[in-house]
Amino acid sequence: MDIKLSEDQNLLQDTAARFMQRECGFEFLRDIENNSNTGFCPHMWRSFAEMGWLGINLPEEYGGMGMTMVDNVILLRELGRKICPSPLLHTVVTAGESISRCGTEVQKRELLPSIVAGTSVYAFAFQELSRFFHPSHIRCEAKVEGDAYVISGRKMFVEFADRADTLLVVARTGGPAINRKDSSGLTMFLVDRHSVGVTCELMPTMSRDRQYEVVFDNVRVPESCILGNVDRAWADLEPAIQKTAIALCAYTNGAGFEMHARATQYAKDRVQFDRPIGQMMTIQMYLAQSIMELYGADTLTLFTASNMDQGLNVRGYVGKMKAFCAETVCRNMDTGSQIFGGMGYMEDHDTTLYLRRGKQLELMLGGTEYWLEVIAEEIIDRQPVNLS
Amino acid sequence: MNFEWSEAEKAYRSEVVAFLEEHVTEEVRGSWLVDTPARIEFVSKMAAKGWLGQGFPEKYGGTPSTTPFAQYILNVELDRFNAPIVGKNVGTIARTILHVGSESLKLDFLPKIFNNEGQWALTYSEPSAGTDLGNISTFAENKGDHLEVNGMKHYITSAHFCDWYWMVVKTSHELPKHKNLSLIIVDANSPGISIAPMYCVGTTTAERTNQVFFDRVKVPNSRIVGELNQGFYYMMQAIDYERFAIIAAAQHNRRFHKILEYFKEVDFAGERPLTDDPVSRSQMARLASRVEVGNMLERLCMCIAAERVPSVEASMNKAWGAMMHDETCSLAENILGPYGCLAKGSPYAALQGYIMEEYLMAGHGRIAAGGVDTAKTIIARRLLGLPNSFAPPVLSAR
Repeated sequence: MDIKLSEDQNLLQDTAARFMQRECGFEFLRDIENNSNTGFCPHMWRSFAEMGWLGINLPEEYGGMGMTMVDNVILLRELGRKICPSPLLHTVVTAGESISRCGTEVQKRELLPSIVAGTSVYAFAFQELSRFFHPSHIRCEAKVEGDAYVISGRKMFVEFADRADTLLVVARTGGPAINRKDSSGLTMFLVDRHSVGVTCELMPTMSRDRQYEVVFDNVRVPESCILGNVDRAWADLEPAIQKTAIALCAYTNGAGFEMHARATQYAKDRVQFDRPIGQMMTIQMYLAQSIMELYGADTLTLFTASNMDQGLNVRGYVGKMKAFCAETVCRNMDTGSQIFGGMGYMEDHDTTLYLRRGKQLELMLGGTEYWLEVIAEEIIDRQPVNLS
Repeated sequence: MNFEWSEAEKAYRSEVVAFLEEHVTEEVRGSWLVDTPARIEFVSKMAAKGWLGQGFPEKYGGTPSTTPFAQYILNVELDRFNAPIVGKNVGTIARTILHVGSESLKLDFLPKIFNNEGQWALTYSEPSAGTDLGNISTFAENKGDHLEVNGMKHYITSAHFCDWYWMVVKTSHELPKHKNLSLIIVDANSPGISIAPMYCVGTTTAERTNQVFFDRVKVPNSRIVGELNQGFYYMMQAIDYERFAIIAAAQHNRRFHKILEYFKEVDFAGERPLTDDPVSRSQMARLASRVEVGNMLERLCMCIAAERVPSVEASMNKAWGAMMHDETCSLAENILGPYGCLAKGSPYAALQGYIMEEYLMAGHGRIAAGGVDTAKTIIARRLLGLPNSFAPPVLSAR
């Protein structure tokens, strides 16, 4: 057992850190927030593709790099440090993993190489008009009509929907959910964003990213758009969401570490009462508590990724990781901002970019309530755990 | 990066488990802080397996270690069996003797420790020196061929059954604070030592600790550990080992799972708290994630310990573990409502009063081996590089 990075992993980390340092500064971030139509930089997206990042976990036979989830964590942590906006998470991880996992050979051969090449962007159309993330709350319906399906419904928080080429839509094909734990009756569809009947409306958010409300008004899609098994999407989608959660947590940990480093530096530089404020115990307690949580969150994320790489069942670990990392990133942004004092809450102060993202990152991909229930199912409803 | 145990580590662990299944009796279980014959016999059996001195040089009675994690694996399994773990004797005392002790101390004491011959008491705290250890006043005066010790120590947990005190004393009136302390080994039967018990708060399983008085106690110069007046620095390093050795995440896991299993089974007038009460259920789930974080900090600590003293990581491990003890018991008490106050003897007491007793002890856990806030200070200073809060304002001092 050891936690040292391999030579290749060190290289990946250094390359990513240098790239982010050079390309993803505050001016860039503000420009994307204020002036971009897409919410990310297409030029940067191409660079991601050139460096192989868009194929990081995808199988080599379809042009991917076939790297591990631990590698993904190392990469995403660096993107997170600079809160880099990109559709990587749902394109490469959610869609890429779903397609690799349950796509037909034809779908894999057609779709995966274009993800790797950066020529197609996916958006994940899952959450609906409900506070809850659990799939039982999905009501968007896909009805059979001849040799096609007709999708009707409303999806919320579809990130980058307007710019996406393809929407990964999770719709109900097998009748309504019988209770709030029912995950059956769902099917995944790969829907062309420009299909007739698809409309997107921007939902303005705290972090000023690009979340959309997407309405499906009798959208006709051919059967060939189905991804995986009809009525049984959750068996393939849940592992893809777990993978997405790992990548997201790596990103939020990176963001937390960066905010923490900035707050710590400020605590050393800012002088009040003839001393750097970091000499005061209150400030030290804040920063020490936060860094401890970040070390824990980071190690738990790496551990979960590593277990997933070994093919172990990680459902419980993913729940614990997501619940803890979400709380950690949000608290870090709040605590860090407190250390900056009044300045930490001024619109043009750079760390407010982190502050605005903290809570939103906590709530994305299932709020903590969802993941706590995952943990509860694993530790309470299953057999006693024998931890080692 | 690799979080898996190697084949050698897995094999060692199976050996340990088989041993524990055979030798951990009801009398051994829970004999953490008491010197029962059953405990001594049990630890001696481990010593006979060569498990106490793993990784130490053979010339001092050590045995080759199959893996850098051997000691950890042993402790985790011991803790899972609720048996006494290998703690301060090896973790703090043997390591310090090995690193800074004279050849004769090494030859004298290391084999004894590894053979479980004799018990030790860490003898640091005084009424005026708790967190601020540099403030001790127990003095060892140079009398030529020996030191003469006068003073008083308290919170000396093993004093009533130990053979040696592992003790910090002041050895200079002139040298500045922290540069005037020395570590010495004192025979418990030396003339001039007397002890008085102190009891930890609790009702049925109250743990005992002690006050120890030293009145003109003679200690030969050969019992000085390392250099005179360097004691504080040796101790700081030893405390890092102790935080790691004593506060193992396994005990927090065991407590959490014992309480979890209890709540899964127990029936409160037709209601099972974790299946029928969504609030308790989600609070317990949240706690599970936090307990898991403790396991992660310990893994991190362990990986570092295979290479160097895990100073900052040990502080995180210690602080988080103590916080989990506290959070686990507080949540369990809250779930129990007023029934959480019932002591052993009441038919309604949860786990015969275990949760309540553990709740009372949790605060102690936050204080022992350097408090949680002390650990955070270490993190702030050593990891984050923040200035010492106790020093004069940095700018005025310039």
